[in-house]
Amino acid sequence: MGRWLRKWLLVDLLKGLWVTLKYTPQPAFTFQYPQERRAVSPRFRGVLRLQVEPATGAQTCIVCDQCAKVCPDDLIALGGHREAGLKIKVLDYFDFNLSRCSFCGLCAEVCPTRPIKALIMSEDYELGSYSRETQIIRVDQMYDGPPIEVYTR
Amino acid sequence: MGLIDHRFPDNFITTNIDRVLTWARYSALWPMGFGLACCAIEMMAASASRYDISRFGAEVFRASPRQADLLIVAGTVTKKMAPVLRRLYDQMPEPKWVISMGSCSNAGGPFPTYSVLQGVDKIVPVDVYVSGCPPRPEALLYGLMRLQDRIRREGTVLRHERVIHVGDTEPTLING
Repeated sequence: MGRWLRKWLLVDLLKGLWVTLKYTPQPAFTFQYPQERRAVSPRFRGVLRLQVEPATGAQTCIVCDQCAKVCPDDLIALGGHREAGLKIKVLDYFDFNLSRCSFCGLCAEVCPTRPIKALIMSEDYELGSYSRETQIIRVDQMYDGPPIEVYTR
Repeated sequence: MGLIDHRFPDNFITTNIDRVLTWARYSALWPMGFGLACCAIEMMAASASRYDISRFGAEVFRASPRQADLLIVAGTVTKKMAPVLRRLYDQMPEPKWVISMGSCSNAGGPFPTYSVLQGVDKIVPVDVYVSGCPPRPEALLYGLMRLQDRIRREGTVLRHERVIHVGDTEPTLING
């Protein structure tokens, strides 16, 4: 008798619909990614980036080659030259092979410059390229990161 | 429309149909998820409700290559898996695109060994490389947007050359 009543009074169906109705007025769970960019966690390791002195814009990298030595896959090649009157070497080239990088962060960890770290893992993760050649990041892109294209419909 | 690809001389112009077909192509890319490693978890996260890849019309992960437009290679491709991947790519109907997701399928990642294929572009022509280890779901969505840009640019008749880097080594660093 009880089963018959449940069946004809649609109790199970209404219970299911009530669950749906409870979740309906809540705001949507989805991040609208290209429009809103979710903040990453502070320990997130994005693409590698060189930093300059924020006040003067001077170069902070001292070309000590430690990041290139510590990289487990030999993805960094950098070099510089000395100039008269300057205490640090001038950075000539800094090539970073993004295609193999496993974002372990060892290079940024060993970077000895203080208080401004020359090499950091930034918060940028928008990395999509059309060829293998563009995955080598040269020194001109290392300061601002690879360009991020805006989504157009 | 695989029927009209490469069938016409170069000065044959199909404007409006071309635009409609391009729109249809980039707004309903049905992917075949080829999840091989940890990148597959991020690919699943991209298709779940938080990041919701269906906002770009690419939510229908097909289990069969015959129904798919887009091959998302997510993970380490071993040399044992490589012929399977190539066969699945060959079974996909034209037009077809490939997204290489993650460092392992881009270039072999941290495995420069005898058993791992050094870059999936040695066996299939890759359109978009998404870097990351693994890429965030947003990064996969970004790669999908770049692929949509590429489809929008290329049109239906004149298509880009599909490049396979046979025997190619990866681009070298200066003095690297």
